[in-house]
Amino acid sequence: MKLIDALRIANQPRGDAKPMAFAMACGFTPLHLKTFLHAELQQLLPHRSVQISTGLYGDIPGTLASLDIDGEHSGAVVIIEWPDIDPRLGTRQLGGWGPGALPGLAERAAEWLALAASSIKRVSQFMPVAVCTPTLPLPPLFFTPGWQTGRYESALRELLARFSSDLTDLPRLRLISQQRLDLASPGGARMSIKSDWTSGFPYENAHASALANLLAKLLVDAAPKKGLITDLDDTLWQGIVGDAGVEAICWDLDNHAQAHGFYQQFLRTLADEGTLIGVASKNDPAIVEKAFERTDLLLPRDRIFPFEVSWGAKSAAVGRILSKWNIAADSVVFLDDNEIELAEVAEAHPGIECILFPSDAAKVYELCQDLRDKFGRQSVSEEDALRMQSLRTASSLQEEASGDGFSESLLEGARAELTLKFHNDPGDSRSFELVNKTNQFNLNGRRYTEAEWTRMLAGEERFALTVGYTDRFGALGKISVLAGRVLDHQVEIDTWVLSCRAFARRIEYQCLRTLFRFFDMDTVVLHYAQTQRNGPTGSFLTSLLDAAPAPDGSIRISRSDFESKCPNLFHKVNVQDEARKSPAAAGAHGSHE
Amino acid sequence: MNENRERLMRCFQAVFPNLSEEEISHASPASIAEWDSVATVTLVGVIEEEFGNSVDLEEIENFVSFDLILDYLANSGKSVS
Repeated sequence: MKLIDALRIANQPRGDAKPMAFAMACGFTPLHLKTFLHAELQQLLPHRSVQISTGLYGDIPGTLASLDIDGEHSGAVVIIEWPDIDPRLGTRQLGGWGPGALPGLAERAAEWLALAASSIKRVSQFMPVAVCTPTLPLPPLFFTPGWQTGRYESALRELLARFSSDLTDLPRLRLISQQRLDLASPGGARMSIKSDWTSGFPYENAHASALANLLAKLLVDAAPKKGLITDLDDTLWQGIVGDAGVEAICWDLDNHAQAHGFYQQFLRTLADEGTLIGVASKNDPAIVEKAFERTDLLLPRDRIFPFEVSWGAKSAAVGRILSKWNIAADSVVFLDDNEIELAEVAEAHPGIECILFPSDAAKVYELCQDLRDKFGRQSVSEEDALRMQSLRTASSLQEEASGDGFSESLLEGARAELTLKFHNDPGDSRSFELVNKTNQFNLNGRRYTEAEWTRMLAGEERFALTVGYTDRFGALGKISVLAGRVLDHQVEIDTWVLSCRAFARRIEYQCLRTLFRFFDMDTVVLHYAQTQRNGPTGSFLTSLLDAAPAPDGSIRISRSDFESKCPNLFHKVNVQDEARKSPAAAGAHGSHE
Repeated sequence: MNENRERLMRCFQAVFPNLSEEEISHASPASIAEWDSVATVTLVGVIEEEFGNSVDLEEIENFVSFDLILDYLANSGKSVS
């Protein structure tokens, strides 16, 4: 991005857009980096009015210490350069170098890094913090020639590596990838000594722009894609299995087909991280079945669900996969080596991202880098590991189910167990993820930043309720989150999501029953709003109200009305009260059938 | 020359989005509250990008009006002839 473009974006009036504030802590004059960061964040948050506050010159820990953590900041960026760690490691202060000064550098650096780590940890308890460690070269203060790393420089870099490693353990801390920054901004073209000496801003504009781009991405998480659908012939493997035969397809160095093996390994990694992997292939199902009997496949069949192998249109196969996954097309990437197939799928499924599998092996490496960005996530949870198995189970159950859902006898015999936990823990990343990615059973579609979620749960009367589910077919993990507050005579719910993998098990009814019983209240108020995708929520509310709910507004449900309309519930229920909200017995654990 | 004027005007408009072309033509740090040292440095950054060359350090203190900057660009050979 050019500075003039960044200024235009940053200065563009935003009308009534809701403000979203970020804090920026750096030791130098923020100047163009602030402008670039503003513009990058604004582009990622087009419906908000981004505001950036900066702090004290030369004092990152002081800036972080004075940050109003109870205020409206949605995140903070911390950009550390060598002079922050020790002014002697910069060029604006002339305190003297020389061999005698070198032994003390590490000691001073250790002190400063400890102070900075402490300040960063404090802020990261309340909001996401993006941290960048030094990006500029050290000045020529060491006695070794510039192409040699001596003991004093090594000591500094070791301290910095330890500092970075410690920070990555913090849940809301995102450390910039120096490797990605190296690709975006070559090391030799980053520093502007003229700008540093005239204005205290040490970066060339191109470097500031690249840095801001990465920092903004760290602060504003793009929702990762959920599923990848791949072709087989000349994609997952080299060769046409129907023509060449099962033994002739290959994916290894010996057959000059390493790119396909690399791709397989990458898809297996994605699958193990919880990404859904499906196959859409125009082939003979029996031959594909035989191909997946090969034990040297790096992506074995148990990491794939479903297989859609037929001679029918790819768009129809993709449609069936989306239906089995029960996710929207815009959460999915489709890969094929045939451009016509890609075009046909793109036309039939608007929003799906169609990518041509490259014929150039070197491009496959770049493809996997790009896929890593699209499917990258902050952590891998227990639920991620369960996702594919639970979808397989759901698919089998659907085949047993009647047209209206699971039969009474199936539900009764499922041996379903629900664990409902009341808590106030904003660090529960699975809850936060569910709230921000669930569309279909979503009370009102409201999304939260991490800072908003943390502040919301901090209220005295506030609670979150997370729901875990298991039955004789397997565990689904944590599949529902409610958040609300307890008032004198009623419970108000302003956030409620339920994973689509858990539909038709009457879990939503059990959630409401638990609220009535746990809080011993006669009224639950649901702050409902119709969205483009939350039809299942509207259907559930319709079943309780005997009429469709108003598109936007609060819905009051009395305990007696609810019980009169609630179907039979067969779950074994375990209630845990970590938030100590129970009026009857704070801290008590209870259960009901 | 007119092309230089237009390009420089775009630079000024990016840095001072609330000023009209007329106001920019007569602007100076003394007459425009938002023209502070930060604005000067930002203006230099935008001009360097737009005209593809580095502004001499000693010239920056003379960047106190639209016309003076336009003259500098013409005389330094960094403008479009």
